[in-house]
Amino acid sequence: MPTELALTLIWSLPFLAAVIAMAMPAGARNGEAWLAGTVAAVGLVLTILLFPQVADGGVVHSTITWMPAYGLDLAFRMDGLAWLFCVLVTFIGLLVVLYARYYMSPKDPIARFYALFLAFMGAMLGLVMSGNIIQLAIFWELTSLVSFLLIGYWYHRSDARDGARMALVITGTGGLALFVAMMLIGHIVGSYDIDVVLASGRLIAEHPLYPVTLILFLLAAFTKSAQFPFQFWLPNAMTAPTPVSAYLHSATMVKAGVFLMTRFWPVMAGTDMWFWIVTYGGLATLLFGAYAALFQRDLKGLLAYSTISHLGLITTLLGMGTPLAAVAAIFHIANHATFKASLFMAVGIIDHETGTRDVRKLSGLRRSMPFTATLAIIASGAMAGVPLLNGFLSKEMFFTETAIYDPNVFVNLSLPIVATLAGMLSVAYSIKFVHGVFFGPEPTGLEKTPHEPPALMRRPIELLVLACLAVGIIPGITIGPYLAAAVVSVLGGDTPYYSLSVWHGFNLPLIMSIIALLGGVAIYVPYYRRLRGIDGDPLLRGLRGQRIFERLLITATNRWARKMVSVFGTQRLQPQIFIVVLLALAAGVGAGWARMGNLPLPSSFDPVLGLVWIVGGVSALAAAWQAKFHRLAAMILMGGAGLATCITFAWFSAPDLALTQLLAEIATTVLILLGLRWLPKRLPVPEDISIGMRLRRYRDVILAAAVGLGTGLASYAIMTRQAPEGISEFFLANAYTEGGGTNVVNVMLVDFRGFDTLGEITVLGVVALTVFGLLRRFRPAPDSADRPEQQRVQADFAEAQGSANVAADFLRIPALIMNWMFPVVMTVAIYMFLRGHDLPGGGFIAGIVMSLGFILQYMAGGTRWVEDRLRILPVLWIGWGLLIALLTGLGAMALGFPFLTSAFAYADIPLIGKVPMATALLFDLGVFALVVGATVLMLIALAHQSIRRPKPASTPQPRKREGLDTWN
Amino acid sequence: MIANLPLWLSILVSAAVVLGSALTLAGCFGLVRLPTFYLRIHAPTMGTSLGGGLILLGSALYFSLTQGRVVFHELAIFVFVTVTTPVTLMLLARATLFRDRVEGGSAVPPSFRKPEPLATEAEMQTGIVETKAD
Repeated sequence: MPTELALTLIWSLPFLAAVIAMAMPAGARNGEAWLAGTVAAVGLVLTILLFPQVADGGVVHSTITWMPAYGLDLAFRMDGLAWLFCVLVTFIGLLVVLYARYYMSPKDPIARFYALFLAFMGAMLGLVMSGNIIQLAIFWELTSLVSFLLIGYWYHRSDARDGARMALVITGTGGLALFVAMMLIGHIVGSYDIDVVLASGRLIAEHPLYPVTLILFLLAAFTKSAQFPFQFWLPNAMTAPTPVSAYLHSATMVKAGVFLMTRFWPVMAGTDMWFWIVTYGGLATLLFGAYAALFQRDLKGLLAYSTISHLGLITTLLGMGTPLAAVAAIFHIANHATFKASLFMAVGIIDHETGTRDVRKLSGLRRSMPFTATLAIIASGAMAGVPLLNGFLSKEMFFTETAIYDPNVFVNLSLPIVATLAGMLSVAYSIKFVHGVFFGPEPTGLEKTPHEPPALMRRPIELLVLACLAVGIIPGITIGPYLAAAVVSVLGGDTPYYSLSVWHGFNLPLIMSIIALLGGVAIYVPYYRRLRGIDGDPLLRGLRGQRIFERLLITATNRWARKMVSVFGTQRLQPQIFIVVLLALAAGVGAGWARMGNLPLPSSFDPVLGLVWIVGGVSALAAAWQAKFHRLAAMILMGGAGLATCITFAWFSAPDLALTQLLAEIATTVLILLGLRWLPKRLPVPEDISIGMRLRRYRDVILAAAVGLGTGLASYAIMTRQAPEGISEFFLANAYTEGGGTNVVNVMLVDFRGFDTLGEITVLGVVALTVFGLLRRFRPAPDSADRPEQQRVQADFAEAQGSANVAADFLRIPALIMNWMFPVVMTVAIYMFLRGHDLPGGGFIAGIVMSLGFILQYMAGGTRWVEDRLRILPVLWIGWGLLIALLTGLGAMALGFPFLTSAFAYADIPLIGKVPMATALLFDLGVFALVVGATVLMLIALAHQSIRRPKPASTPQPRKREGLDTWN
Repeated sequence: MIANLPLWLSILVSAAVVLGSALTLAGCFGLVRLPTFYLRIHAPTMGTSLGGGLILLGSALYFSLTQGRVVFHELAIFVFVTVTTPVTLMLLARATLFRDRVEGGSAVPPSFRKPEPLATEAEMQTGIVETKAD
């Protein structure tokens, strides 16, 4: 198999499978597990097959060209480090899938779980294989986003929601910092290609922007890997289902931070700044995590703090800056992933079979679940650093590095002492885990009788523990070559000699290990009864990162936001509009005053058109005058102004525009008339108005007149000028030869600018759905919630006359004619549609004509009558419209032309004659269907209000503020 | 093109258009001048039926003869205008009538029969409507 294809498959298969998983039926637990397992297994096999090519510092590339003009490609690369991570992600992913098959309850929405799980796997693989640093930042954000969804999987629980939100806010902030850091690195190096960046040597570290870049970079790594002081999100993320925890917090999510530091270690590390921040940040995390883990009563909490502590250990190693420390860091990344994943799974089994994770309730489980107990004990041994297990080796390497002599006394003492102390604590919490759960008397008061889980559920743990043992006993054979490949890919030519053997002789690190082991026992044994009952550590319990975070969040998103609203906001629309219009006027005057130039007077004047304009202008003015006191009259007058515009368009030879304007004018007028019913009744003209109010009105009139005249003047200035050489000439010249239509406007809409039209109709569909969604639960203002006066009067009249439907009786003949007009309207719509390519018309116009037919039916028959007979399913029409338009465009692509290229021919149809048959007609059909669907949907939503009995909205309590009442 | 028109045709077309326009104008005056709503509602029909018809006739004559083929557009326009205009006027008239009856306005024209129901089932079947004096 070609290498490039293999690389592409590794990262893309999980995403594809995520989509498939989402679409699978709800009960397909086995199908989902098989799908996810197969994808993980295929990824693992492909990765393993690629090993020979990356073994000796080799790098494999795969680039998918995306926007070559901007140098943006989807670039993937695999070297030793990426290979190691890919193996961890896919291998542990495979085991977690198997485990989750038995862990997840049939009641859980399993499709969502596997889809998110696969998406997360894809994001993580994309992250470690990114060949472009911007792309790396994007996959980084993707992991944050998907992990948010995974942590909040049981979103009916408030703690899951809180934990997920906190994880997203913290890691998302880090992602933003990473994005900026990557931009800065790209700026410094001059390329976003990761190979170029890694080959840049000391360029970044010696650049003046290095401190800023480093801070942002570390902000990202520290937030993701839960380093002090951002460690608090990780324990809260334990609300996720245990398979998710086992995956995210052992091999993937939190390892992304240390991966980032390792990846950029060659170009970023080695400075004093790096050393102090990273080493001591890591050291603080190491100590704090180990300390806090000792006082957890929740087993997952214990493992979470232990994870924080081990990540601190890796970070410390990366901070030291020596090549050997980097080797140890990479080694510990792999080791931690294996034993921590198995421990999380073991805790999940305990939780699953006993119903609790509380260490105070559990004891003596080794009798009822001996196999699980054995496995967990071995994994805990690896966590504690017991010899002959993998954790021991990397911890020993860590001790070796901390013990190296440093000229700085503080460094020389603090590193080994804190390391040993943290080692003692980690031994203590490992013993607490093992002793507390598996030893002691039989548990009492459990919800379930504990027993061994299904064998297959235990199998992943067995494999992982086997790996711990194999690496711990024969490291040179099991992990040696793979670790070497990863190390070479990071360190390149500087790779130092390192030994993976178990026995290095009796030296200082061994003494430190022995002290840690004995010290851990010494801490645990005297206090184990008290440790068992305690919840939270006695020293730092008051200082909760979580609480500080929440307080900050509330301050920023609630208190400050409310303050801003109360300072800058207002509940009244008038002052807002006044300010917006005033600013627009100021901006327009400022921009246009100097550039107005001289305005030529029109050379000729047509008195008839002048008359039309006078009528239109008077209508507009009268509409403005009546807008507040008589809305119906204002609407009708607005229609008059619109008709004047229409005639103007037709006059100046823009029939398409005139037709569209006419139809849109009718449709909007009718729709707004329907909406008037929900506005308050018309206001009586007040008899005596105060001087202040009078002055405000003069002010508003002056402002309105100034803006209106200014807009008119600007339009005049633009239209009397010579148009710049634009693309309109191209459209005129090519409409017939390229698009096959003589109606240039329509050819532009469906062919030249078809992509724009596709976007526009999509927006139209979205708007229609939004209108429908909003009106479905529409709550009118309390004073318009009652039935309007007209309906009440009609009802009374009907009762008095003993008639069922007054409107139908009174309007029988007009209604009949309107019914009969429907086929005629439909014919007109078809006619408009078919002639559109060559003469004024087209899908949009035809769609509006069609919807006007529906409006007529509503007027004639009433809502109930139409709803009984309506055979159009508007949502389907919207969907099909979009699909037809899209498929037409894709059809061109299938034939090797750019998206939305149209083909055309003339067909000779008997009786009708020559008819243009362009594929653009198909596209126009999509436009037509969508316009019909969208308008009918909105019409249904609006008209249905008349037979609905909506609940009034809760009475708003306007907050009285000084000075607000002066606006009116 | 106009120069090529035979005189008789010019006179015919002009007469039709001018007469149609005059009738329409008369209808518009009526809309403004007549005293009550019920009287006013009749005035615009002058413009839409006879006036419009005459203008369309002029147009049809002119274009049929100058372009050498029979033009049907005017016929379609005439049919649609004739069918749809009454709808608007009927809607207006019936709505006003309803309001006046409910509110008991003074200008309600006399009802020649019971307003509800307009037709009984039997009447619908037979098509014979018995008119009853009030």
